[in-house]
Amino acid sequence: MKKFVSVLLTLILISGIITVCGASEIKTLRIGYQPSTHQIAEMTAMEKGWWTRDLAKFGVENITDTEFSSGPPEMTAMMAGELDVAYVGTAPPITAIDKGLDAKIVASVNTNGSALVLSPGLAANYTSPADLKGLKIATFPQGSIQDTILKKWLKDNGLDPGRDVHIIGAGPGEAITEIMAGVVDGVFLPAPSPTIIEMADAGKTVVYSGEMFPNHACCCLLVSGRLIREHPELVKQIIRTHINATRYNNEHKEEAAEIYARKVRGTDVEKVKESIKRWDGAWVYDPHIEINSTLVYAKVDYEMGYTNKLLTEEDLFDTSLYDEVMGIAPAPGTVSPTPTPEPTPQPTPGFTSLLVIAALLVYIVLRRFKI
Amino acid sequence: MNHKLEVRNVTKAYISEEGEIKALEDINLDVKPGEFLCIIGPSGCGKTTLLRMIAGLEYPTSGEIILDGKEVKGPSSDRGMVFQEFSLFPWRTVLKNVEFGLQMRNIKSKERHAIAERYIELVGLRGFEKHYPYELSGGMKQRVAIARALATEPSILLMDEPFGSVDAQTRNILQEELLQIWKRTKKTIIFVTHSVDEAVYLADRVVVMSARPGRIVECIDIDIERPRKRTSVEANVIREQLLRKLITEHKKVGLI
Amino acid sequence: MKRNRLISILNNRGIIEAISLSLTIILWELVSNFIVRNPGKLPSPYSILLAFCDIWEIIPLDIGISLLHFGIGIGAGAAMGIIVGMLMGWFRIVDRIMDPMVEILRPIPPLAWVPFAILWGGLTHYAAGFIVFIGAFFPILINTYTGFREVDKTYIDAARVLGCREEWKLIKFIALPFSLPFIATGIRIGMGVGWMCVVAAELFGVSKSGLGYRLFQVFWPLHMIDKLILYMIILGLVALLLDRLFRYFVEEKLFKWKRGIVIAK
Repeated sequence: MKKFVSVLLTLILISGIITVCGASEIKTLRIGYQPSTHQIAEMTAMEKGWWTRDLAKFGVENITDTEFSSGPPEMTAMMAGELDVAYVGTAPPITAIDKGLDAKIVASVNTNGSALVLSPGLAANYTSPADLKGLKIATFPQGSIQDTILKKWLKDNGLDPGRDVHIIGAGPGEAITEIMAGVVDGVFLPAPSPTIIEMADAGKTVVYSGEMFPNHACCCLLVSGRLIREHPELVKQIIRTHINATRYNNEHKEEAAEIYARKVRGTDVEKVKESIKRWDGAWVYDPHIEINSTLVYAKVDYEMGYTNKLLTEEDLFDTSLYDEVMGIAPAPGTVSPTPTPEPTPQPTPGFTSLLVIAALLVYIVLRRFKI
Repeated sequence: MNHKLEVRNVTKAYISEEGEIKALEDINLDVKPGEFLCIIGPSGCGKTTLLRMIAGLEYPTSGEIILDGKEVKGPSSDRGMVFQEFSLFPWRTVLKNVEFGLQMRNIKSKERHAIAERYIELVGLRGFEKHYPYELSGGMKQRVAIARALATEPSILLMDEPFGSVDAQTRNILQEELLQIWKRTKKTIIFVTHSVDEAVYLADRVVVMSARPGRIVECIDIDIERPRKRTSVEANVIREQLLRKLITEHKKVGLI
Repeated sequence: MKRNRLISILNNRGIIEAISLSLTIILWELVSNFIVRNPGKLPSPYSILLAFCDIWEIIPLDIGISLLHFGIGIGAGAAMGIIVGMLMGWFRIVDRIMDPMVEILRPIPPLAWVPFAILWGGLTHYAAGFIVFIGAFFPILINTYTGFREVDKTYIDAARVLGCREEWKLIKFIALPFSLPFIATGIRIGMGVGWMCVVAAELFGVSKSGLGYRLFQVFWPLHMIDKLILYMIILGLVALLLDRLFRYFVEEKLFKWKRGIVIAK
């Protein structure tokens, strides 16, 4: 009995120590982004070394960025703890946060900027959404902005997204291949994909996303909850760098296109320049302008059963840091600093010992029966 | 007199890496109708090859084989053959095995059935029609093989060491049963074997073959009356003769 | 005395298996609730049960569509695999002609064929069936081929001597019945591989339902991990069921005679 108790106590001690020693320093900052002209702000800051320069004083020695074909896989990575910052549409975080992702939207990145492209023959005969009946459309996977807006727009126009249109989830590369091969009838993708398809004579834009849902939120800056709680100054600097990069791009659109073409290998810079001329999007940074449309996405997602609860502004946004950066006094009733969420998974003393007790009980029972 | 089977100047040669190998050289043999002929010889002497050529499964390099006055040109069911083992079709029942040759002749189902039943009874396996080969003993399987070969009423029955895979007691029983069947059907039988005892018990005439290239070395008539005693004096005399001949042949090739 | 009784109970069929399975589920429940504590990474068995109650209505549809893709692929795979295997196994010249293509194509994983299938077949049930076909075809081909090659020469001799002379007759009456157990084995293996390909086939959204479709096009982007694992389990159970049914109906009943064969080589 003595032995048993001492073993148990040792285990409790060890597990206790492990819990306490959670690493707090941020040495490496991991950013996620997508190959879309919506997010050139991230690419500009990266190429010009602004991330490195601005964040060094917080002890950040290394900054990495990883490309994701669309939002949902990017959120999967962030849920797995592999990203600290994500340039992503405002819709994917809705389903991710609903399933337990600890993160908040701190700034906006762009509005509008996607388009529905149909193959040339179908585009020529297109007059209204009803013409889409029976077609196969490829777009980003379920939970993405594109998927959400497309489905909402179809429903608003009397079509059943499940039955009347066959919507397929894919990344931009696959979707472009599919429309070029004639495997799908159309795609709904963010810039620069629509222009790339048009310039290859494989399709024509029939509806811009801004027509489907005027001034809708698209990409945003999503930061992990831990970063917000433990390193708010670092996050404020991230916001500042993002604002600077966005302003720079707005003033140097040609150079922005070139930066994109260098970042996303295999892209023709002329096509990117043309895409920036043709798109209906805008590069922005104020998170407040994205709140309303994002809440609409949350409602659509909730109605489609993608989320278990209807998410609110508090669940999704933390505009306080942006407000501090811009010197804006918080409006009455605005979101206060991000509250501490449920404890993240760590082995705690109580439950490790529970398992040990269970194992010991089994052992005792077996001994009892002399096996 | 009309011979049932005539083998005239038959030679069989193969071409291999070492050059030309002669399996059989200048075989001449006449078989009378209703005769029980045994062929014995050392391993590799070509007796199986000879039998296969009579069956039509292989062709002589030179010479002819004539059955009932017609030259043999390929296998057909007028030359029935019983193999040493693994010849019964395992996916067919006993009845369906025996019916096979008749089925190949497009004989109608009812008739096939009746004929097959008759031969199954002849070999003493009545009641086993629906059994599969895997359910039968070695001896029973060979009986079915005999019934199957006889069902097409061949002109001649060729048997290639048919009892070589069964145990000694079963072998003796099968030999006796074979003789019964031979008496009833009056078939001409050519029986290849390794066993001198077997040849002496069964045959009217024994042909001894030499080692490769196979030649007919001796033909001995066995005049002993049937039913024979395996250990009679006359049997022993012939047995001695044959054994000595065989040993000589074995020594020639260094097999002993 | 107690020990002996316990041992004899344990020796009953299924007791140890049931205990093992129950303990695994209990352990899983404990680990997910007390150690991992992240339903986004490891949902507990209970949450998976809840997920089942939540979406049980679409499960039959998904199983049905996946079985459709499976059926198309297995049907085509068996038909072509048996025919090509038969020709290659029986006719040496066909073997030599076809062998290079077979040897090169066979090792290509079915997943690698998916883009090709979509480009040529579009996003249709047939493209999905094609991927299953790729998975099933080669095992069936090879086993059929082996069957036809292994036909004992004695059976052929016996058949010829009984008047079966034409090539096609030898194939029909001798080679084919002999090879049927090999073909059955090939089909069984092909079914196993083919079912695994169903998920790959449905990955890219060839249809609007199906187990693989829902797993990758719905549950995964929407981070519905409990439903995802539920579907993994369903995939496994259906495969098990298909295999057991096949073995029961085909192998038990049709190939009793195989027990007696010893292939002496």
